Formats: sequence, structure tokens, C-alpha cells
Amino acid sequence: MAGQLKDKEAYQRLNYLYQAAHCVLSQNPENVELARFYCFTQKTIARRLVLRQDPSVKRTLCKKCCSLLIPGVTATTRQRRKNRKTRFTVVKCLLCGQSKTLLNNPDYCLWVDRPEAQLQQQKQPDRGPSVKNQPKDSDPDKSASSTPSTSTAGT
Amino acid sequence: MEEALVRATIPQDLVKALGVESQTRSKADAFTQAFLKNSIQQHSRHNLKNMLTHKAVILGYTRPKKEKKRSSKKAKGLNARQKRAMKIFDIKPEHQKYELFLPLHDLWRQYIIDLCNGLKPSCNPQFVQQKLLKADFHGAIITVVRSKCPSYVGTTGILVQEFKHVFKIISKEDKLKVIPKRNSVFSVEINGFVSHIYGSKFEQRASERSAKKFKVRGTIDL
Ligand SMILES: [Zn+2]
Repeated sequence: MAGQLKDKEAYQRLNYLYQAAHCVLSQNPENVELARFYCFTQKTIARRLVLRQDPSVKRTLCKKCCSLLIPGVTATTRQRRKNRKTRFTVVKCLLCGQSKTLLNNPDYCLWVDRPEAQLQQQKQPDRGPSVKNQPKDSDPDKSASSTPSTSTAGT
Repeated sequence: MEEALVRATIPQDLVKALGVESQTRSKADAFTQAFLKNSIQQHSRHNLKNMLTHKAVILGYTRPKKEKKRSSKKAKGLNARQKRAMKIFDIKPEHQKYELFLPLHDLWRQYIIDLCNGLKPSCNPQFVQQKLLKADFHGAIITVVRSKCPSYVGTTGILVQEFKHVFKIISKEDKLKVIPKRNSVFSVEINGFVSHIYGSKFEQRASERSAKKFKVRGTIDL
């Protein structure tokens, strides 16, 4: 139980840092440095404590320079077509030029939203406290790398 | 005519449908300025003014050099030299305004109150202190209470950046002050609870504190 509580504090901290970055940018859209600093801190905390961040959060952070990607302020969002059918949303960071390409697929369902993921999380407590939450942690990672929607493309 | 269109507020029915609100004039202006600045592409390589002030310009065609393509398309982080060149975390002097950081402070208060389950006056100070140890201090108003260097004592401001050895705070006079953590005691006030931070014990990066375990009672001296 104590472990869960400790995690909660860390998650609250991550949440605060993410909001703080938004707050700074909304006050002054040109102060990208501070927003980037908060996102960088957020990223390092998550990495140190091995906490998974929600894909919706990860998609608004630049992988290269850690800045917060807000369309029109720090990033451009463009539609690109590859073949006749496949379309992508290309989000390009204006500060370092790194872009991420997301496949437009209305039927795509994130792993965390799928019922299997929920089942696995519910199963977790049954395994006893000695089992680390490694299976839970490794699975979303696998699913993320296999789906095309989170892949990034160079400029 | 066009300008009026640009400055028009969002109609009431659209506000409800989209869940967006018109910003105040100053905020909208700041957004527009930043948007335009970012939208106009800057070609540092083709900066004509710079080029013409140079000694000589050779007129001739050179085939544009092909940039080496990376084998993988994955994002690579920046290395230290690139970070230094970009001044990745330096706050520009024109952004060092105290009132710009007041909303951040409000957000921080909400965060701390939420972290301490409401922070009622009846709360156990020990409990609050335990929570604050792992909390984030960006956005807090901190004051230097004691220091080995007397000129730091009494400095107050909103903490904007926490590094391994220094706090960067912004004072009411819109000045960015860099205060070393070592040999200083800081105080943080929230809803009547005053907490003291011994800077010498805090000499880590902001992100490392989350994972660290603190000793219950260490020796404390400046
Ligand atoms: Zn970037």
C-alpha cells in the first residue's frame, strides 16, 4: 500500500509539471525555455521512477528537445498523404525541427483503452505483493512499438 | 475590415459547441506575435545581410551539399554541445517578468494543497513536511532566511528553476537571481505552514529528489 501512495505523489508531481509548462506558455508563448525545462524535469522523473506516461502526454512532448508541442505556438500540424488512402498527421517541432508522424486511423485503439489491458491490471493484485509490476509495464511498451501510429519519422 | 474579422470574438453558440473561449486582448496579442514569429521561417544560412557584409561573394553555382541521412528515423536526443549552443533552459531577459509567473504560483498552491489532502490547519506539520520533501518547488515563493553570505538573506521571489546546486528565483523587481543551495536556509510559506529548506541537504537535481530517501534527522548546520 505504501508503494502505491508513493507513486501517487510522483504522479501528482508529473501532473503539476505538465500543467506548469502549459501555464508558462499560456502566459507568455515565447518563453519556451522554461516550459521545456519543466517537461525535461517531468521526463527525467518518469524515467528515474519508471513510471509510464499516457500516450496523450507523450504525443505533446518533443522527443528530441523535450519542449511542449502546442499547434501554432511551438509546433506545426500538417496533414500528409502517402498513398491514396493512408493519411498522416505530421507534428513538427518549431524549435529543433524534429517531427512525429501519426497515422490517421479512427478505429485505432490504444493499448490502455483496450479491454485486455484493463483485465491485466485487475489481475495484478492477485499475484501477491512480491511480484513486481513488470508484466504490466512491459506490455504497453511492446504494443506501442508495434503500432505504426506512434512511430516517428525524420525530417 | 479584415482586421476586425481577425479580432472578432467567438460567437456564443460556437463557444458552447467547441468548448473554447476568447482570450483577453493582451493574451491574444501575445499569441499572435508568437504565432507569426514561429510561422515565418528563418533561413539562417540565407541571411543576405550577413552574407553581404562578408568580404567577398563568389558568384557561381555550387551543388547543394547533401546532408547525411540518418539510418534510423528515430529521434535522437541532443548532446551536451548542442544543448549549450541552443541555450536550452536559459530564460531570456525579456521573459523575466514577475507578474508572468504569478499564475504559476497559484497553480503551485493548488498542487500543494491537493498533495496534502486539503491542507487544513489541523494537519500534522510532520505530515506536511514529509509531503513537501518529495514535492516540486517550481512556482513556490521562497525566501532566504539564513545564509553564510549575508547579502543573500531576505531575498524573496518565485522559484522558476531548480538545478543541482542553485535555485533560480525571480524577484518582485523582475530580476533573475541565482542563489546557491549550499550554506543557505530557505523558507516556504503555504496557508500558514512555514517550512524551512536546508539548502545543503537539497543539493540534487530537481528530478532526483523524487527517488531519494531522506534520513529522518540528520545533523544540521550551515
Ligand atoms: Zn523539439
